[in-house]
Amino acid sequence: MVNIVVLVKQVYQSADLRVDRSTKTLVTQGVARVISETDKNAIEEAVRIKEKHGGKITAISMGPPEAKEALREALAMGADEACLLTDPLFEGSDAHATANVLAAAITKIVDFDLVLCGNYSEDLFAFQVGPRLAEICNLPQITYATKITLEGSKVVAERDLENERQVVESKLPCLISVTREINEPRLPTLMAIMGASKKPTNTWTAADLSLDKEEVGFNGALVEVLRSTVSVGDRKRIMLLGEVAEIAPKLVKALLQEGALKGS
Amino acid sequence: MSQENKGVWVFSDLPALAFELLGKGRTLADQLATQLTAVSINANSDGREHVQHGADRVFLISDPALSTFQVDGYTDALTALVNEHKPDVLLIGATRNGLELAPRLAERLKTGCVTETTRLELDAEKKFVLMDRVTYGGNLVETHISRSRPQIATIAKGLFSPIPADPSRKGEIVKVEPQIKPSTTRILENKPKTAKGVKLGDASIIVSFGRGVRKKEDLAVIEEFAQTVGGAVGCSRPIAEDLHWLPEEQYIGLSGQKVNPKVYFACGISGQIQHLTGIRGSRIIVAINNDPKAPIFEFSDYCVVGDLYQVIPALSNAVKELSKSQ
Repeated sequence: MVNIVVLVKQVYQSADLRVDRSTKTLVTQGVARVISETDKNAIEEAVRIKEKHGGKITAISMGPPEAKEALREALAMGADEACLLTDPLFEGSDAHATANVLAAAITKIVDFDLVLCGNYSEDLFAFQVGPRLAEICNLPQITYATKITLEGSKVVAERDLENERQVVESKLPCLISVTREINEPRLPTLMAIMGASKKPTNTWTAADLSLDKEEVGFNGALVEVLRSTVSVGDRKRIMLLGEVAEIAPKLVKALLQEGALKGS
Repeated sequence: MSQENKGVWVFSDLPALAFELLGKGRTLADQLATQLTAVSINANSDGREHVQHGADRVFLISDPALSTFQVDGYTDALTALVNEHKPDVLLIGATRNGLELAPRLAERLKTGCVTETTRLELDAEKKFVLMDRVTYGGNLVETHISRSRPQIATIAKGLFSPIPADPSRKGEIVKVEPQIKPSTTRILENKPKTAKGVKLGDASIIVSFGRGVRKKEDLAVIEEFAQTVGGAVGCSRPIAEDLHWLPEEQYIGLSGQKVNPKVYFACGISGQIQHLTGIRGSRIIVAINNDPKAPIFEFSDYCVVGDLYQVIPALSNAVKELSKSQ
């Protein structure tokens, strides 16, 4: 029996985000909110481990009340219980403040064996919350996992590094962050989707987690965002129009002139 | 904020990246009128190269327990050094190891960390390092500051240039033995990845393709062109992850390889933000796409609207012709 906590982040569907060049803003209106891609792999992995070893899966998400939708999807995929961590006090959290909130929540879920999360979030790609949470909870961390095998009170995981695949072993409890490669997340059946609404979902605020307002949100953050600007390309954008037979030598000449094809 | 924190430090488990960080670190240290320190852990180095590339001081750690990177041991070692010497800025190389080290170390030190920074500048009063990073799939550039010290930033390979090695540079090399606890994880095996062809990270010319290539057999068109220009072949994520036409190591993007060639040919790649973020470091981007509205054109230097099946062979011929006449 394995008691697993899965961390779930709800993000905007990144492929649908656009910049409005005239207003210089990020257009989020009408963009679907989804579970961040590798978090889905984490949920799937939790379900597969449970299918093999038995146990319980608790999906946790910190976010606005809408993040309940992401948790419902996690429940439909096979999580047993969900916790939504939501409070206006959490707004403005950086990775440290987020890890504080998640740490308080998982400490409330006693006797967990495994914390699973995605290797990165699709919106921020900061790679921070997992390791920071592991540090606060004094857990071993295994990142970039492409395979997880439980062996008694130990876990063996394969990791995807730049030049090697590394196999590591850790005692439980431990935190593991997974890559997209680890599995193919299931699409929940209609039955599972309907069943999800019957599963328990708790909503916890800062007070429920005994967190002080100085530890979370903007006040608790160690990093501050000074400004946020829309990213516009600074490329030359030279359009080459006309017949292919004319364009090709023109382009190659330009590249040779810039020294970009030399040394080839 | 504490006034006692002083000095710019760099650490990377990848020596070449450590030298790049020293390049940027030197600029920051000079602007702050402070010392530049490199931490070198079991890098088969006596520290002299770090000095030649700009370090005023090198902390050399050679502990058999740190012979292979493990996050807890490296966190212990760096925590001990940071707590003793209290640097103001710590730049960490964003290898995969570096990226899992930086936040764990930052949390232990209870300090801010900004990962995958793209720009580091001092504010007008030289109190903070302004750290830019790209978010929301490349759509936003956020400028961060750390409210605590040291200010930690991770930096990817290829962003900054090392200072050319100067053998006459002088610096202090200090052997240190920080206390570390035994690791909580055990490495059972390291299986080297079999590198196929040129490593994309080192390639100076990359010919990359996306869904515009209609079937696997047509890869020959791309490969032939790559051979003609002496480039490495890369692809967008769907080609590797969904179609499996190329191994995972060959896809370029935010979650894949990040490249910095002299010229990057994007053939039949629409320009999903995921992909654009991986090619940001390219000096010149050439896009070939039959859809004039493809987002890739917004982020390219040379834009060819056309059928890649005609354009690529024509480019191959032009390269052969023109390099002959040069």
